[in-house]
Amino acid sequence: MLKTERDEIFEKTGQRREDFSVCMGCKICASVCTLNDIGKNVNPQDLLLSIFLGHIPNDHSIVTYCTSCYRCVESCPWRIKIPEIVRAIRERSKGDLFTRTFKSSIAIFGRAYEPYIFFRILPFLLKKGYLRYLPRWIRYMNFSFPPFLLRR
Amino acid sequence: MRIAVLGGGISGISSAKVALRFGHEVIIIEKEGKIGGLMARIANCRVGFQTFFEEIRNSPKLKVLTGKRVLSCERRNGLFLLDLDDGERVEVDRVVLATGLISCEPDTKGRRILSSLEYDSLIDQRNEALPNDLKKIAFILCHGSRSRDYPLCSSVCCSYTLRQIKWTLLRTHPEITVFYNDLRLFGQEFFLLKALKDSNVRFLRTNSKSMEEDEEGVKVRYFSGGKLFEEKFNYLVTVNALRPNPELGHLSRIFGFSLNEHGFVKEASPLQTDVDGVFACGGSLEPMNIKDSILTGFAAGYLASGGKGITGGKMVFRKDPPGFDLPDSGESFAFYLGVDDTYSSMFYEYFSLVFVELALKLVERKKQVYVVTRNSVFPSYEELIYEKARREGVVFIHLEEDERVSFDKGSLRIEGGKKIEIKVDHLILMEDFCRYFREFEVLGFSRSEPQLRWSPTKWDRNRYHVGFLRYPRSRRWETREYYAACAEALLDSEARKVPEVLEESCSGCGFCKNACLANAIETKRRDRTLSLFGLHPTTFDPIAKIDPNLCIGCGLCASICPSHAIKFDFTRTSTDRQSAQENR
Repeated sequence: MLKTERDEIFEKTGQRREDFSVCMGCKICASVCTLNDIGKNVNPQDLLLSIFLGHIPNDHSIVTYCTSCYRCVESCPWRIKIPEIVRAIRERSKGDLFTRTFKSSIAIFGRAYEPYIFFRILPFLLKKGYLRYLPRWIRYMNFSFPPFLLRR
Repeated sequence: MRIAVLGGGISGISSAKVALRFGHEVIIIEKEGKIGGLMARIANCRVGFQTFFEEIRNSPKLKVLTGKRVLSCERRNGLFLLDLDDGERVEVDRVVLATGLISCEPDTKGRRILSSLEYDSLIDQRNEALPNDLKKIAFILCHGSRSRDYPLCSSVCCSYTLRQIKWTLLRTHPEITVFYNDLRLFGQEFFLLKALKDSNVRFLRTNSKSMEEDEEGVKVRYFSGGKLFEEKFNYLVTVNALRPNPELGHLSRIFGFSLNEHGFVKEASPLQTDVDGVFACGGSLEPMNIKDSILTGFAAGYLASGGKGITGGKMVFRKDPPGFDLPDSGESFAFYLGVDDTYSSMFYEYFSLVFVELALKLVERKKQVYVVTRNSVFPSYEELIYEKARREGVVFIHLEEDERVSFDKGSLRIEGGKKIEIKVDHLILMEDFCRYFREFEVLGFSRSEPQLRWSPTKWDRNRYHVGFLRYPRSRRWETREYYAACAEALLDSEARKVPEVLEESCSGCGFCKNACLANAIETKRRDRTLSLFGLHPTTFDPIAKIDPNLCIGCGLCASICPSHAIKFDFTRTSTDRQSAQENR
């Protein structure tokens, strides 16, 4: 079970497991990481280690904040593609309601289609009382027909 | 026979020494204007090189060509006809490659970021004053080596950096920080490491590539103990990778021998290239330290001169290491590569290799293997095995300085910067194996003596040690050590001189006994019968006796004797004596 989970991530990166396990723990990636510029104190190598120890770090701060700047890849002696791992973990994880809605909007419409998003997250908005901001949102929202109807 | 040695560095000179001892003619061809190579660029080794070269300098059979390069080579009747770049043609029977290593210049270079050789010339004893702002310096190891472009470990940088710190501390007391991945030290150097740690040199198991240089210094960002730090140093020394000399590629084209993918000579058999009559030693084989360069230099010189090894008699004394059996049961295994006591640290090199080979075997059997390392020593080509193990899926956990590891009830817990707990079925500790070597004599100390001793395999006057007994390391070295020991025995065979005690003059004062460095002198009683008016009493006045096996031939006793009762020939070597006679 554990193994398949790990292999799934490596499969999603489009690389082999060897390309990641070659890491020798020098922490060069941490010294150049952009997240450390904003004081997150992260070590991208931790991500690899915890995956190899059998724990998928879904809520690690790198997974949340990584900007895929590829600075770590540039300076890594072995050119280990950490952003690819981060992308794979993000893709696998279910994510919160907004992320899921955004993803399905992309899947259906090919873009972020606001009316769809709005109706998907409507229960959330109702529950938390966000609807009072509705008039202001409408000004920014683009209530056009769905793109696939226009194409026809 | 004539032998051409390409390269006048330390390994070239050592092979020339052996070939001259055989009585062959030797031509040393050096590309640079001066012989000495990389070793002579190190300020503290320059004198050592000169004294080593001094012993063969005046030999009539030696010819040194500096500033020359071999342009082409032709083979005729088993001879090599070498064309040099000034039109000179040299005919030789054998060729020894001693092209050596070069240090790669860093890509980030400035006035404050130095390579280690530049730093060496900064702290050179011949410079009268050190720079005023030598207050806070940092060393960054493994710069350019152990990477995808160049996967080998340079094997000497860690030791060299340690010595540089020692030389710095002899002159001034700056704050020193060393960023390292693994400290690849050998033998006695672990004691030096401990001494440096005790004198407040900071060792951090982390590395960095984030350096910003300005007028006053270099700002380095590094990640240690779960936190990011930013620190400013006055000087930053990047310890660069040692790569094979690019000249080796040119030579491989004209001689026709093949190189491996890293640019070093591919050995067909130990120290021989795949072209008949072309031998290789020193830095053309792999990155190695000065002592090993001398060792391979001796061995290649011995083979090139037609040495066959010692036949008859047992030469190789080996005590085999304990057998390493693996339990069949269990799914997960953990190796702990780390010891606290300094003596056992000498076996890091051996056990790193043993543990990784075991781990690879287990991974083949589809087991889960963890290797927790406090330090690991994989010099030069061993690094490839380490890399293979990482690729195959052995999980390496590297402990930082302040992280602790504890084992209880089948689980392994790491505390400190990172918190990890793993369930394992079997634990294999390096300490348990080191216990076996507790009472075991190895030449480990002398593998890396700080004083230059020109005898890499010598134990004492009668014994030369090779293989596991000399220093536990990779099997590749056994044959090299064997031929080096043969060559060394040959070099010593005539140079061996024992002082002679003149019985009539010796008063048995014991001055020589106290002066002797090797405790080779004892005062013994002599029975002498005197005839006094018909009586025959016996006196027991003492006399100095020298044990030829323990004597190191330094001549100190002869110079200290107040009644000139010890005779010692102070001329240097056999070749010197020969040349002196010929000149007369």
